[in-house]
Amino acid sequence: MDLFANLATGFSIALSPYTLMLAVFGCFIGTIIGALPGLGPSNGVAILIPLTFSMGLDATSALVLMTAVYYGAMYGGRISSILLNIPGDEPALMTTLDGYPMAKQGRAGDALVISGVASFTGAFLSTIGLMLLAPLLARVAFQFGPAEYFALYLLAFATLGGIASNNQAKAAIASCIGLGIAMIGVDNNSGIPRLTGGNMHLFDGIDFLVAIVGLFAIAEVFFFIESHGKNTSIGVKLDKVTIPVREIWSTRWTQLRASLIGFAAGILPGAGASLGSFLAYMGEKSIAGEEGKFGTGVAKGVAAPEAGNNAAAGGALVPMLTLGVPGSGTTAVLLALLMTLNITPGPTLFTERPEVVWGLIASLLIANFVLLLMNVPMVKIFVKILSVPPWVLLPGVTMISFVGIYSLSGSYFDLLLMVAFGVLGWVLRKLDVPTVPIILGILLGGHMEDSLRRAMVLSGGDWTYLFSSGVAIGLWVVAIAGFVAPMFLRNVLTKPQRVTD
Amino acid sequence: MASDRVFGVVVTMVALAYIASATQIQASFLADPVGPKAFPILIGAVAAISGIIVALRPDEDPKWPELRTFGALIIAIVVLVGYAYALKPMGFLIPTAITATILSWQINPRTGPAIVAGLGLSLGLFFVFKYALGLGLVALPAVLHG
Amino acid sequence: MTKRLFKALLTSAVLGLGATAANAAECIAPANPGGGWDFTCRQIGKIMYDIGAVEQPVQVTNMAGAGGGLAYAHVVNERSDDADLMIAASSATTTRLAQNAFAGMTADQVRFVGAIGADPGVIVVAADSEYQTLGDLVDAIKASPGELAFAGGSAVGGFDHLKPLMVLQRAGVSDLTAVKYIGVDGGADAITQTVGGFTAAMSGDMSEVVGFLKSGDVRVLAVLTEERVPGFDDIPTAQEQGFDVVAVNWRGLYIPKDVSDDTFNMWAERLQMVADSDEWQEAMAANGLAPFTKVGGDFQSYVDEVVAEIRTMSQEIGVIQ
Repeated sequence: MDLFANLATGFSIALSPYTLMLAVFGCFIGTIIGALPGLGPSNGVAILIPLTFSMGLDATSALVLMTAVYYGAMYGGRISSILLNIPGDEPALMTTLDGYPMAKQGRAGDALVISGVASFTGAFLSTIGLMLLAPLLARVAFQFGPAEYFALYLLAFATLGGIASNNQAKAAIASCIGLGIAMIGVDNNSGIPRLTGGNMHLFDGIDFLVAIVGLFAIAEVFFFIESHGKNTSIGVKLDKVTIPVREIWSTRWTQLRASLIGFAAGILPGAGASLGSFLAYMGEKSIAGEEGKFGTGVAKGVAAPEAGNNAAAGGALVPMLTLGVPGSGTTAVLLALLMTLNITPGPTLFTERPEVVWGLIASLLIANFVLLLMNVPMVKIFVKILSVPPWVLLPGVTMISFVGIYSLSGSYFDLLLMVAFGVLGWVLRKLDVPTVPIILGILLGGHMEDSLRRAMVLSGGDWTYLFSSGVAIGLWVVAIAGFVAPMFLRNVLTKPQRVTD
Repeated sequence: MASDRVFGVVVTMVALAYIASATQIQASFLADPVGPKAFPILIGAVAAISGIIVALRPDEDPKWPELRTFGALIIAIVVLVGYAYALKPMGFLIPTAITATILSWQINPRTGPAIVAGLGLSLGLFFVFKYALGLGLVALPAVLHG
Repeated sequence: MTKRLFKALLTSAVLGLGATAANAAECIAPANPGGGWDFTCRQIGKIMYDIGAVEQPVQVTNMAGAGGGLAYAHVVNERSDDADLMIAASSATTTRLAQNAFAGMTADQVRFVGAIGADPGVIVVAADSEYQTLGDLVDAIKASPGELAFAGGSAVGGFDHLKPLMVLQRAGVSDLTAVKYIGVDGGADAITQTVGGFTAAMSGDMSEVVGFLKSGDVRVLAVLTEERVPGFDDIPTAQEQGFDVVAVNWRGLYIPKDVSDDTFNMWAERLQMVADSDEWQEAMAANGLAPFTKVGGDFQSYVDEVVAEIRTMSQEIGVIQ
């Protein structure tokens, strides 16, 4: 069968000692990043991309390393949720609800192991899902012309703005900031510089990595200065770690259902892991009912959100790889990584660069097993790392960001831009304006404009061409619905509050 | 309330300025039906409208930090800007130690540990970057290299 | 003014690259790792060392920016007498030079040493297309020039755009500006658009279509070489079909202008040695390149011809004034 042949190719790439070492290393770093309060998958991956690039890794190795970090961070997020009641990243928020009570009852070890196993289930099942679903989606490539792509990009912005934010107008502003920034530089079509204000540093446009690191990492530093690092509560002690087999087995259906929900939520462009863990937890809570005692420290309450958010992480890779449209903040950052490596995700990726896709899938599977091993028996090591105080951590993050960006271009101008993006990120997040659409805008702005202009070239300037196919109309309808519907549903379904990431 | 009104107005003004500069874009002599101006203008228009909406229907005010914290943030920004300029001519070690110390002190105002953190990060990261990752960092100002 | 811009951009780019070891030859790939220029530098550099044409391993430097313009400015302004320097080049280099895209710098500011391989230009339609020959397609376009569109991997005015226009010009189509062209992100995307029916034909390089040819998705109407390409002997050339167009994406090198003639000849010889090596034959076969060896003075005059032709064509369609 094709699938297995492809998978075999993937493993032959991902199982070399070198890539295996990278995967282990990435999982380790990722788990640390995820566990540290204030650093989540998006900013963790963001800081590391410039460094990966300057290390001169080839495309597959870089991809293996960064996805291992990505999955690792998704695993690691639960550690500080359970021990400190501080989510290491946004999706881990739901894990605090039952994880911290469990830890307070002296069962921190059990909570960590159960959630670790649930993370594995979620991530493993969603990787299988990715494997089965992605090639199917890739076949629709021939249905996508310029008009369809334009509608698809619009859909990404609309649903991201609709689902991931509390205020559509603010999400739209964020998207426009990103798109507006993407327009700066030399126009693809005419080769004439636009909107540069004559500043020569801007002729090649603004590097999305500068924006990402600024918005995610530097802004975080400002938040910590503002709070004077008050987020350092002393956590619960962790004594010994045993494996509560019976309890894990009792959550098997919870894990399965949560994985499915999480995967589905992850596929939706813009929804991402937070929604996955939220829906998974809420779903399990209503199934268990009153006797379930959710919120008091029960195993299912830890298993559900962790399976959900890790499954969503895999699901979010589906639209990113097949359509080039990221489903979450972190996948947007991963998209940036791919583009830095000269790989254009999209329908043709599966036929054009099968070694990349299947190498990636194989390395995800490997990373999962590595993470399970790391996060169950070795969890104590990561708990130790949590004691790094913010007054060491945050300056360190700043320095790594500076060196990373500096090593890319060697230009002080990019560093200044990065600081400016940091300030912008701080102000916007204060005002509850989401920053992920900015990244999406910078990443996709050029493509979106190109597809519009190509569509108009083909139609000779006839705007109705944008709605001339069934696929295009369908995408427009979903886009508009995705943007408008949350306005009405907001009262029914309250989004989990945004926390640190 | 007030924050969002100010934000909305600022966004609208910036968007209008953006549209204005977009109209100045040189049109290509190789014409395509859309041209290089239309999409930027469209973005500006959407942003301007969204800005007006935010100004008219503001959310609740966020909790802004007190004046002293604002001062601290501005100091942090100045330090980071200085760091950006200093990195090339001064080498890695000295600016990094100074910047890291100041940032560390700002998060937790205890002088001793801050200095230790600054020096430790500067040296530690230098070795990691230079020898583990093989980046071409310069340690000290060119003058000192002789 | 723009020249100053290049210079300034450049200073920032070369900082941090560090000093090159004396005597070791350096090859600048004017793009990020992974592209065609990077391939040229790494392959040629490696083979030169392996066959003993150079004594020390060739150091490859990536200097991306301005579509190769950054590296060009660097060579012209700062290293114009460096005898140990070569720079990867291709048709894209000459196309941009012809279209004045390097801030006014011209092709005679460097010396083109040679090309030792080429990716043949092709015109491709979907397998189920009604056009069986290049003639069919040209006739259809003649009948209604604004109706059919081409897709290609280069931007508007780029080499992929110019290929079908050259064919149409030979066929006597007068209004070349009416012919539609969309530039997408690479040849594979262009083929997808064509197979999907959004454009009538695709213009690109042989290496871009090989995979799709094997899977049966596309039909190559013509290859733009003087002779049929080995391994693809059933694909007719455009010349056979009565359209005298040769357009290949050659892979080669240029060196700084102010080096001695001896140095120029030395590089030409080294390049010839690479071209004759078995290693290079293998590398070409693995990457879909056809033999295309023009080295030394021959190549310089070929480049001048190509630049002149592209300049005229570009003026005609309005890419440049």
